[in-house]
Parts: sequence; structure tokens; C-alpha cells
Amino acid sequence: MVRSALATKRKIGKGPIAGAAAVPTVSVAIGILLSALPIVAQIGWFPDFGFLMLIAWRLLRGDVWPSWWAAPLGLLNDLVTGCPVGFSVVVWTASMLALELLDRRTLWRDYWIEWVLASLLILFAESAEWQVAAWMGAPVPFSFMLPPVLISMAAFPLAAWVVGRLDHWRLGRQ
Amino acid sequence: MAAPSGPRPGWSRRAQYGLFFSFIAAIIGLAIGLVLLAFSIAAPDNFKNMKGLALDATAPITQGLNAVGATVRGLASGAGDYWDAARQNGQLSRENQFMREQLITARAIRQENGQLKAALQLREQTPDSVAAGRLVGSSFQSPRRFAILSAGTRDGVQIGMPVRASRGLIGRVIDAGAFASRILLISDRASIVPARLLRTGQAVIAQGRGDGSIEVKPLEVGRNPFQPGDLIITSGTGGLYPPLVPIARVSRLDGDNAIGLPLANPAAISFAIAQQPYEPEAMAPLTGKDQELP
Repeated sequence: MVRSALATKRKIGKGPIAGAAAVPTVSVAIGILLSALPIVAQIGWFPDFGFLMLIAWRLLRGDVWPSWWAAPLGLLNDLVTGCPVGFSVVVWTASMLALELLDRRTLWRDYWIEWVLASLLILFAESAEWQVAAWMGAPVPFSFMLPPVLISMAAFPLAAWVVGRLDHWRLGRQ
Repeated sequence: MAAPSGPRPGWSRRAQYGLFFSFIAAIIGLAIGLVLLAFSIAAPDNFKNMKGLALDATAPITQGLNAVGATVRGLASGAGDYWDAARQNGQLSRENQFMREQLITARAIRQENGQLKAALQLREQTPDSVAAGRLVGSSFQSPRRFAILSAGTRDGVQIGMPVRASRGLIGRVIDAGAFASRILLISDRASIVPARLLRTGQAVIAQGRGDGSIEVKPLEVGRNPFQPGDLIITSGTGGLYPPLVPIARVSRLDGDNAIGLPLANPAAISFAIAQQPYEPEAMAPLTGKDQELP
């Protein structure tokens, strides 16, 4: 009894923060808004921050949001980044559905498998962007897309780390 | 690591239904997205009001942060200018003198040109500048090349207007909000500018390549007319872009074509000017023209 009374329990006031359920969505929205940064570049090689945050959250937890939330978030991304309206709605929702189906098939995952899954989704998203650009009258060779794809794949662990820290913070774990 | 427990709701009927309906909602969302995407590919003008609103909503972020960045850069380069000021002063005075001489020659040529045109009774409008702004952002995440100009419909900018800087052509307006507008840069693959080789006057076409450079193609089949270092200027054909605006400098030859670099680098210029289309008639059928051009 004495020992259990003296043992350090959870610190008082260390539960989930207020509005913990909204943190994932808000962080994806902030990722989307990063594309409004005043960077004037001649080459579009930066990763799509909103998409990276979205798949990083979804790979970390299956229950951060119902998968249809990807549709309004994708619409926001289209409007902010200047993609053709509907493009991110399709790609983001399709990614959520793919992960939903995948969750039923896989028994276990580790970090490497998550990175491979994220890389496949990034490849899918960038190829779709390339194909839509070709349909919109801007057909560039696919080799132009390889540097941004590789940069996005390399940036995914960074997004996963940010998401992991945010998850600890919002749930009050240390 | 065990698979996350999220998508397996266990025996709770309520949780099962919730999961099922969110699945259905996601499929509906996907379908709506496909319809929206089909609309925006078929007719890019469909969502111009929505895109204009979004431009206005993000304008405070972009322009505010750009002001901060400009101040920091200004402090750094301002401090740098004091360094080595005497030598720079001498160099600038020499350049100034040289420019003055060139200017007198240019004035004489212009006067002569005016007289010759009057003799030929050639009618010509000079395009009016509508608004000046800064290039404050760009599509740095996508294969398309867009930039954000800090001037919108409130300043008189309209969709379709050509945009230039003092050094050369930038592109044309494709989305306009009240305070900001989106510009299709000449380095985008969908941008095609009727142009001329300055050295020989031969008609060429300048099309972006999507990586910041520009592909220049001759209209006539024959020997490759380009040499590295050649200047490409607009020809005024088509009536949208005014003539005699510098576009690019040829950096290397590529088969029958040449690859050039834009003279007005959007990352380096400070101000851009939106102008009236060279022939105002080019504005009216612009939507139709846009669909066939890109």
C-alpha cells in the first residue's frame, strides 16, 4: 500500500489535451498552407506537405479520422496549391481507401513496411499529377518527375517523426 | 508491431455501422472528386471564382511572409552594399556614362522609326500597364509552373492579361482574386508564345519545358537557325503578348530546336507588371483560344 502510494503515477494534468481529436486534421491543414509560403522557385521539386502529413497520420493510427475526411482536405489542398480542382480530392480519398483495405489484409507492420507503403502512395500521387498535367496540356517527360518523387520519399520519415511527436503531445504522453 | 485496432470495431454494432458508413462516404467523396476533376480538365474556367477566393484567403500569409523575407534580405544586401562601395561607385559611374551614350543613339533610332512608321501609315497601340505587383509565391510542389502576383481584380488585373517585368516576359494571368492573381509562367509546358529570333527576325515559337527552361522551335523547316547566346523576343502575333518583349536567351542547341533560359527569372525579379493585351480583341475570345492553345 505504502509503495503504491509513493510510486509515481501519471502526472496530474497530463491527460489528452483539449481538442486532441482535432490535432491531426489541423496539422494536415497547416501542411497544406505551407504551400502558400513565399517561395518562388523555377523547379517544382518540393514535397507535397499536406499529402505527407495525411498519409503519415493514417499510417500511424487507423482511427484519426473517418476516411471520407480526406475529400474536403483534398479540396482545400486543390484550392490553395492551384492544382486542378478535384485532383487531390480523388488522390487523397483513394489513398485513404487503399490503406483502409490494406489494414484488413496485413497482420503486422514495421517501420520499413510503412515507408514502402508511403513510397508507393507518393509514387501513385506524383504519377497521377503527371498524367493530369499531360491531360491539361502540359505533357512533360516522366523523368522530370523522378527527383520530386525521390525527395518526397526521403521526406516521409521526417513527416512521420513530426506526426509521432504531435501524437505524443496531443495524448499527453511523455 | 500489431496492426492498429482502428478498422476492426469488434462486436459493437454501432462501431461497425459507423465504419461502414464512413467507407460509403469515402467512396461518394471519391466519385465527387472524379466529377470535379473531369470538369476542371474539360473546362479549366469552371472554378475561377472559387480559385480567386482561395487566392485572396492565402494572400495575407504569402504577402506578409514575403515582406518579412524582403526586409531580412534588404538588411543583408544593404549591409553588403556598403562593403567595397568606392569601387562599385566608380564602376557604376562608368556604366552610367556608357548607358547615356547608348540612350542618345536609341532616342535617335526611335525618332527615325516613328517617322518611318508615319510614312508607312502603320497604326499601332502601345499596351497600357494595368497594375504592378510583386511575385510572392510559386507552385514549388508541382510539375506545372505557376506564380502568385500580389495584384488582383481590385487593381484591374483580369484573367488573360500578359505579365512582364523590366527584363522580359513573365507569363499570363490564369486566375484572379481581388488581391492576388495566379500567373502561368512562360516556362510552363502549356505556355506557347509566338516569338522571333532577334538576330535574323525569323519567326519561332517559345514553349516552356516545365523545369525553368524554354524550348524554342523554328516555324520553318530547314537548318537550325539558332546560335548559343541568341535573344528571343515576342513577335506580337496572336495579339495577346506585346511585340519586342525579350523572352529568353539560347543556351544550347537541341536537334532542330534550341533550349533557352528566361531573361526574367521569376525568382530574381522584384516587380512584375500586368498589361492590357496587345490587341484588345485578343481578350474577348480568350477562353476559346485558351482551350486550343495549351
